[in-house]
Amino acid sequence: MSVLRLASRTKLYWGLIGIFLVGMLFSPVTSSGKNIFLSYGNLLDVLRQVSTTGLIATGMTAVIITGGIDLSVGSLMAICSVVCAMLLTVPGDTPASAMGIPITVLVALFVGFAIVRFIFTNIEKSRARGEAGRDVSLNATRGLLVPGAVGIVLGAALLWYLIPEAEEKFGVLGVLIVVPCVGLFFGAINGFIIVAGRLQPFIVTLAMMVTALGIARLTAGQNNAVLPVYTGTNAVAEFDNLRSLVFGIVPMPGLFFIGALLIYGAVLRFTPFGRYVYAIGGNEEAARLSGIDSGRVKIAVYAMSGLLAGIAAVLYVAQYRQGKPDAGAGLELDAIAAVVIGGTSLMGGRGTMAGTFCGVLIFGLLSNILQLHNINSNLQLVLKGLIIVGTVLLQERNAADLLAFLRLPAMRRAPTETPAEQQASNETVSRNIGGSANETP
Amino acid sequence: MSGVPIGSPAASHSSGHTPALLVASGISKRFGGVAALTDARLDLKPGEIHALMGENGAGKSTLMKILAGIYSSYEGQIAINGRPVSFANVRQAEAEGIAIIHQELNLVPELTVADNIFLGREPRIVGLIIDGKATRAAARDLLGRLGIDLDPDQRIASLRVGEQQLVEIAKALSLSARILIMDEPTSALSPAECERLFRIIRQLAAEGTAIVYISHRIDEVMQLADRVTVFRDGRHVLTKEIAELDQDRIVAAMVGRSLHAAPEEATNEAGDVVLSVRSLRLSKPHRRGWRQVLRGVSFDLHAGEILGIGGLLGSGRTEILETIFGSANGQAGGEVRLDGVAVDIRSPRDARRLGIALVTEDRKTQGLHLGASITDNVALPLVNQLASFGLRSFGGEAALARQAVKSLAIRCSGIEQTANTLSGGNQQKVVIGKWLATRPRVLLLDEPTRGIDVGAKREIYDLIFRLARRERLAIVVVSSELPELLHLSDRILVMSEGVQTGLLSRSEASEERIMQLAAPRSANGGRKVA
Repeated sequence: MSVLRLASRTKLYWGLIGIFLVGMLFSPVTSSGKNIFLSYGNLLDVLRQVSTTGLIATGMTAVIITGGIDLSVGSLMAICSVVCAMLLTVPGDTPASAMGIPITVLVALFVGFAIVRFIFTNIEKSRARGEAGRDVSLNATRGLLVPGAVGIVLGAALLWYLIPEAEEKFGVLGVLIVVPCVGLFFGAINGFIIVAGRLQPFIVTLAMMVTALGIARLTAGQNNAVLPVYTGTNAVAEFDNLRSLVFGIVPMPGLFFIGALLIYGAVLRFTPFGRYVYAIGGNEEAARLSGIDSGRVKIAVYAMSGLLAGIAAVLYVAQYRQGKPDAGAGLELDAIAAVVIGGTSLMGGRGTMAGTFCGVLIFGLLSNILQLHNINSNLQLVLKGLIIVGTVLLQERNAADLLAFLRLPAMRRAPTETPAEQQASNETVSRNIGGSANETP
Repeated sequence: MSGVPIGSPAASHSSGHTPALLVASGISKRFGGVAALTDARLDLKPGEIHALMGENGAGKSTLMKILAGIYSSYEGQIAINGRPVSFANVRQAEAEGIAIIHQELNLVPELTVADNIFLGREPRIVGLIIDGKATRAAARDLLGRLGIDLDPDQRIASLRVGEQQLVEIAKALSLSARILIMDEPTSALSPAECERLFRIIRQLAAEGTAIVYISHRIDEVMQLADRVTVFRDGRHVLTKEIAELDQDRIVAAMVGRSLHAAPEEATNEAGDVVLSVRSLRLSKPHRRGWRQVLRGVSFDLHAGEILGIGGLLGSGRTEILETIFGSANGQAGGEVRLDGVAVDIRSPRDARRLGIALVTEDRKTQGLHLGASITDNVALPLVNQLASFGLRSFGGEAALARQAVKSLAIRCSGIEQTANTLSGGNQQKVVIGKWLATRPRVLLLDEPTRGIDVGAKREIYDLIFRLARRERLAIVVVSSELPELLHLSDRILVMSEGVQTGLLSRSEASEERIMQLAAPRSANGGRKVA
C-alpha cells in the first residue's frame, strides 16, 4: 500500500524516468556501438534546448497557480530578442536603446525603492519582536524618502553606465540588465491591466501577444527582419559565453534555467509572496478579504513572467546568433503544456516548480527522441499532442473517467465526486475507489 | 420517462406497518483514514417524511450521497422494494427514482425555469430542435400541480433562493422521483417561504413520495416529520416515530448529552466606545445607475458589547459589515471612528491593520482556501507579519494554528488537515480562528452559525460571549435567526430596506418587535414578506 502511495506521490518522476528509459532502450547506436541518446553531448543538447521553454514555463507556473494565464510570453520574447540583438550589434541611437534605457532606469528606480523599503520594514519588524504578528509602519523618512533616494541613485548609476554602452555597442552585462527589464516592464503592464481593469488574464495577455509582436516588428524595422549577431565581428566576443559550457560541464542556458527554477521555487515555498500566490489561486475572494493585496501579487507574477521571457530572449539570441520578431512564436503554448504536464492545475491554487521541471524535461526528451529517430517533423507534432493529453489524463487520474465515458465497464467509476471529496481522495482514497470500482459488477 | 407524473399513485399514508420502500443497512464509508459512516442504516416507507438529523460530520450527507449515487464505493447493502441495488453514478440512482436536492442548488442561472426543469431531457421536435412550447407547457403543468406560482419563462437568476428551491423540487419530480432527499432546504428561506415549502412537501408525501428531510432546525422537524433518524459520529443512534420524541430527546441523541441552554450572563457593564458609525451610506451599481442599499446607519459599539443586526435578507445587514470592513462593492459614505479617531477604510487590508475582523457569511466562497491546510488558512492574514526578511516563519504559523485548534476546539486530525475535509462547523471555526489570530478589537460576524449543527452552534455562542465578556472585544453579529439574535445581543439594530428602523435594548427586544421593524414599508416589488 505504501508503495502505491509513494508511486502516486512521485508520479511525475516516474513519467520522467519512463521517458528516459524509452529514449535509452530505443536509442540508435553509433557504429562503435555507443548509445547516442545517453551520450553526454546529446543530453547536454536536451538541456540546452529546453532552457528557453523552461525559463518561460518557470514564470508561467506562478501565473497559472494564481489562476491566470500568460499568452504574451512568446511575443515578449520576440521584442526582447530584437532589442537584445540590436543593442549588441548597432551602436548609437536605435529604437532598442530608446526603448530599453528609459525602461531600465524606471525599473531601477522602482527596484531600488522596493528593496530599501523592504529592508527597513524588516528591521522594524525584528525590533518589534515582542509584538510578533503585528503590522509595522515606517515613518516618512524610512518609508519614502530614503528608499526614493536610493531608487534615484540606482537609476542614475544605471543611466551613467548604459549611455556610454549605447554609444558603442552593448556588452554582455548591459544586455543582461536591459533586456530582462524590458520583459519585466511589459509583463507588469499585463498585470496592471488585469488588476486595474478587472479583466480576464486570457484577454489581456492575448491583446499583449498581438501588440508586442507588432512592437517587435516595428523595433526591428521590417516584418521578417532577422538581426544577425556574429560574436567577435559585429558584436562583443564575450557574448559567446552565454551559449558555451560552464567549466566544460553545464551549458550556460541550462544553468540559467535551473537557477531561475530553484530560486522561484524557493520563493513560492518560503516567502509570504509565495503563499499569497497559492492563496489567490485557491480562493481569491478569501485572500482579498484576509487583507492580502491580491492586485500587487498578481502584477508581480506577470512582471516576473515577463522578466523570465526577457532572460530567455538573451539566451535565445546567444544560442541562435540572431534576434527576430518571430523568435518566440508558439512558445507560450509549449510552456503552458509543460506546466500542465507538471501537474499544475489550470484552475489555480495547486502546482509546483518541481513538477514544471519534470514537465519541461519530459517535453524536451520526447522531442529529442523523435529527432534522433528522424521522425517526420509533422508527425512529431501529432505525437507531442497525444503525449500532452495522455500525460495530463494520467496526472489528473481521469484516465478511468475517459474509459468509462467510452463505456468500458471494467473501469467504471463515479463521475461526479464533489471537489471536496476529490481533494480528500487525492492522496490516499483514490486507490480505494479504483480498487473497489473494479470489483463492482 | 415520458410525461411528468408526480410520484406513484397515492400510497396510504399510515406510517404503521407499510413495507419499506428503501432499506440501507450496514453502510460504512471511509475517506482516507477518517470513518465518515460506520454500520449506518436507514429505512424509508412510501409516503413518509423522514427527518435525518445529526451534527455536522455525523454522516448524514455522506449517506445521502451514497443513496443518490454520488459516492459509488462503500460497504453495505441498499435495497429498493426488497431488491438489492447499487449505483455507480447519479443517473442510475435517478432511474430508481431517487432524487436529491442539495443545499447548494444546482441550477443554471441564465436559463429559464422551464429550461432548468427539463435540462438534458428537453421535449424535442423531430429529435433535433427543442420544443420550447412543449417545455413551457409541461413546466407550467408541473408547477401548477405543485401549486407553485412561478412563471416558467422567468430566468433563474431573477428568482429568490426560496423560489429556486421550488424549481429544484419541480425538477426532481419531473424525474418521477419516488424518493426525494432534501438537504437543509430551509437554510436560506424566509418564514413564509418555509411554510409554502412545507405545504408542498406534505402534498408530495400524501401522493406517496418518500421524503428524506435533513435539517438542523428541530422545531421544523417536529412540525413536519413522521419519523426521525438521528446519526452521531457516523453511527445510527435512533429511529423513532415523531410522537415518541420531543425536542430535548432529539438534541440529546444528536449531541450525546443533554443540552440545557444555560441562560448566559446578560449583564454587561458597557466599556468605552470603540467603534462609532455615523450616517453610513452605500450605493451599489445597479443597471445603468446606482441603487442605495444603505441610507444612513448610525450606532456606537462599546468594548465588551455584542450588537445584533436584524432584518430580512437584502435589508442591508451584510452591507453594513462590508462597508465598515472596506470590502463593499460600491460607493460608500458616512463616518467611521475607531476610538474617537476618524478612519478611512478602503480595503480589508486597512481594516485588518486597524484591528477590525470580518467573518463572512459564506465560508466556502469567501472565507476559506479549501485546498489548503488549517495552518495555511489560519495564518493567511499574518504570513507577512510573521515573516522576517522575506522568509516565512513556518513555526510561527503552526503556533497560530495550534492556538486556534486548541482555543476553538476544532476537531481535526492535525493542523495540516486540508480545510475541505473538515465539517461545516469546524470550517467555520477555522475562519473565526483566522481572524482571532489577527487579535482584532472589533469582530464583525455575518451569520456565524449558518449551516452549523446544534452542538457547534452552542460552542460558537459560548465563544462569542467569552470574546465579548472576557477579552472585551466589540462584536457585531448579523443573523437571520431571531432566537439567536435575542440570545446573543446586548442591543439589536433592525434594518429594513437599507434604513435603520430601530435600535432596541435587550429589554425592549422581542421577536415580534423585531419583525415589526423589519417589515418593508414601501410598496415597491409587491412581494409579501411575513
